[in-house]
Amino acid sequence: MRLRDRLVAGDDTALTEVYDRWATLVHSLALRIVGDRGAAEDITQDVFVHVWERPESYDPARGPLRAWLSVVARSRALDWLRRGRVRARYQAISPPVTVEGPVDEALMSDIVAKAVRSAVADLPEPQRKAIRLAYFGGHTYREVARQLGIPEGTAKSRLRVALRTIADRLTADGIVDQ
Amino acid sequence: MDSHGGVPDLLGAWALGACDDDESARVEAHLTGCATCAAEANRLRVTAGWLALDGAVPPPVTLRDGVLAVARTRRAPNPLGALAAAYAAQVARLDGVLRALSAADWHRPDPRHATVDGIIAHLAANDARLAEDAGVPARPGTGGTARATWRAQADALVAGLVILAPDRPVRLAGRGAPQRAPVRDALVQRAFETWIHLDDVTVAVGRPLPPPPTGHIRHIADLAARLLPRAMVTTGTVHLVLHGPGGGEWTVDAGAGPEATIFADAVAFCRLVANRIAPDALRHTVHGDRPLAAATLRAAATLGCD
Repeated sequence: MRLRDRLVAGDDTALTEVYDRWATLVHSLALRIVGDRGAAEDITQDVFVHVWERPESYDPARGPLRAWLSVVARSRALDWLRRGRVRARYQAISPPVTVEGPVDEALMSDIVAKAVRSAVADLPEPQRKAIRLAYFGGHTYREVARQLGIPEGTAKSRLRVALRTIADRLTADGIVDQ
Repeated sequence: MDSHGGVPDLLGAWALGACDDDESARVEAHLTGCATCAAEANRLRVTAGWLALDGAVPPPVTLRDGVLAVARTRRAPNPLGALAAAYAAQVARLDGVLRALSAADWHRPDPRHATVDGIIAHLAANDARLAEDAGVPARPGTGGTARATWRAQADALVAGLVILAPDRPVRLAGRGAPQRAPVRDALVQRAFETWIHLDDVTVAVGRPLPPPPTGHIRHIADLAARLLPRAMVTTGTVHLVLHGPGGGEWTVDAGAGPEATIFADAVAFCRLVANRIAPDALRHTVHGDRPLAAATLRAAATLGCD
């Protein structure tokens, strides 16, 4: 039985498996975007409770479960940021603090985390900036173009080239299919 | 603009969630009809999903229990879910073994069912009886082979049983008069019988496999302990102390009488229940009433279904 089928059937051991496999990914992404530990934990909880409550909203035809979890986590984290920005506009509170979390040693030795970090680190600086603004900053490519002072077409192709470069590296490492 | 309507340029931004809604919709509409772009889109979306690990920070360990507890209060787990998954896992294991059999392997001898082919036909027949009793619609296999027929039926059973009320009584497979038991017991029994016949097949073709995971063994031992009182012809209280993977302790209450404690390996005990190990061949030790212990083991060996 596939994980999704087990979740739909109400097998809570499947939820435990999903959590154990992907909690670090979801939490890392949320923390990276919101920069607030408490919020990152809340978002992590929301994502996994959502997986359990609505497993049928994941469509396996659209990619692996992991990719879907990232999409859900990212969208919840960006929602949280937007709510914060609205609050900030009215309350003039200080901007969110960036948290540089301690990197887990066990995970650092993990082949995938290592591969991803080195693939991102090896990108030319302008590409890395564009990717980070778009993915972790939650900006559209048009906003990325404006922030970097480059034409929109350049921003588009920079994002595509950067992501393809990372994909090629992860393919060479056997992590992403050709 | 080319025939792809500018979509390829947008794929990076789309995979990163950095297009506006109109553009995302345009990209996704194009992807349904363009395999080339869809392949790249999928690859980039998968890659984007890994980006979180650029700076991996695991959540605090305390978060895990909290998340799982909240999830379970928001949607109660289906008690049949894990049992169905355990059965499905045995089905997948057996299917993997059958897939690798040569034509000659199917004719190898088996002491109970003549040949490997006979084992699978027998298993499929027991599955079919439960499917009929539980009102699970039959799903014909493709190709008409014994393996295809059994597999399609087993998949239909997994999907059909898991949505029933866990307490609904159905007929268990067995050698004697048919016993009725809740669906959850029937699921455990299917997993058990599938494993035992998987064992039969691997013995027949000379490629043995390890027993199922700990949790499955415990479910089987637990079912056997609950079925035992009805199968016993003597009265008394028996403590079953099973060790090794899947072990645990069970009390079999078969009415007023003497007491005995039986110590044995959990996997071996399950094989005794399946009558693959004879009562006098099971390695065990007894404290207390020896005749009661012997009667218990003889009764346990009748619980299986060939």
